[in-house]
Amino acid sequence: MIPALRSAPTPTARRIEWLRVVMMFLLLMSWAMYPVELLIVGHWLDSWQSLVPFILTVPGLIFTAWVFFFDRSTNWVRQAFIWTMWAAIIVGLVGGYFHWVWNMEDAGGVEWTWGYAMEEFHGYRPVLAAMAYTYMGITGLASIYRAR
Amino acid sequence: MIELLLKSSDEDKRFLVFLQLFFLFWTVFGFFYFAVEHWVIAHFLDSLGSRLPLYISLIGLPVSLAMFFTTNQLVRWIFTGTMALTIAIGLAGALYHLAFNATDAGVSVFTIAGFLEAFTDPYRPVLAALAHVNVGAVGLVVGLTAET
Repeated sequence: MIPALRSAPTPTARRIEWLRVVMMFLLLMSWAMYPVELLIVGHWLDSWQSLVPFILTVPGLIFTAWVFFFDRSTNWVRQAFIWTMWAAIIVGLVGGYFHWVWNMEDAGGVEWTWGYAMEEFHGYRPVLAAMAYTYMGITGLASIYRAR
Repeated sequence: MIELLLKSSDEDKRFLVFLQLFFLFWTVFGFFYFAVEHWVIAHFLDSLGSRLPLYISLIGLPVSLAMFFTTNQLVRWIFTGTMALTIAIGLAGALYHLAFNATDAGVSVFTIAGFLEAFTDPYRPVLAALAHVNVGAVGLVVGLTAET
């Protein structure tokens, strides 16, 4: 993204690249902060699922940094970045769902009534924190869309 | 900006507006969600500071929505200023959450253990305040790259 910003031929192209650079910077910061956050909160229990968010930050950080600083044109780099973003979208949705359901199971069983479900939405396991992965994935996909 | 998208003759300009509208949607979604969230968790105590996140969400939502339907320079600068203010409120909120958590726990944020304890206290989530920074930054780059 940075090389594309530096070589943007027109003012409009430069604005597009600025937009992408800022979004990718926010994404890069997210991939850098999430493993620290997961490390601090000890998000690795006995189940392998609890390791998935941390493991995903490794390709997330590497490919985002690579696309941001160096190269977004090489096909395999693009594909690896795009697949990592799709993985983030899915992991975020699945994680959010499980956080929510497990909050309900701890409280007294799964029940999709408005008041109860909303209360457990704000329960011990943050649903939105998991869904931030989905947002990050969408940001990454939008940033690389039509970027060659 | 929708009008700008429909009337753009140049492909680059059309794509720039498309990207801006895409990210503007997330800004609107973010403000809408924050407003509902602050209302649900009753984030308005006696202090003015505790009400600021709700107030800025209620201002940010209509201003962001207005950007879809106009390219007026004044609206654009009000929007851009609101986004800058949102970033400032998010940063201040994160610092206050951190400091208040530390005070409650009786630890110092200037030690690693104290910082980690204050950072991970779920009562006042530090990262949730930083979400305002993200929404503000996304809106800010849309405002700053908007063509008139």
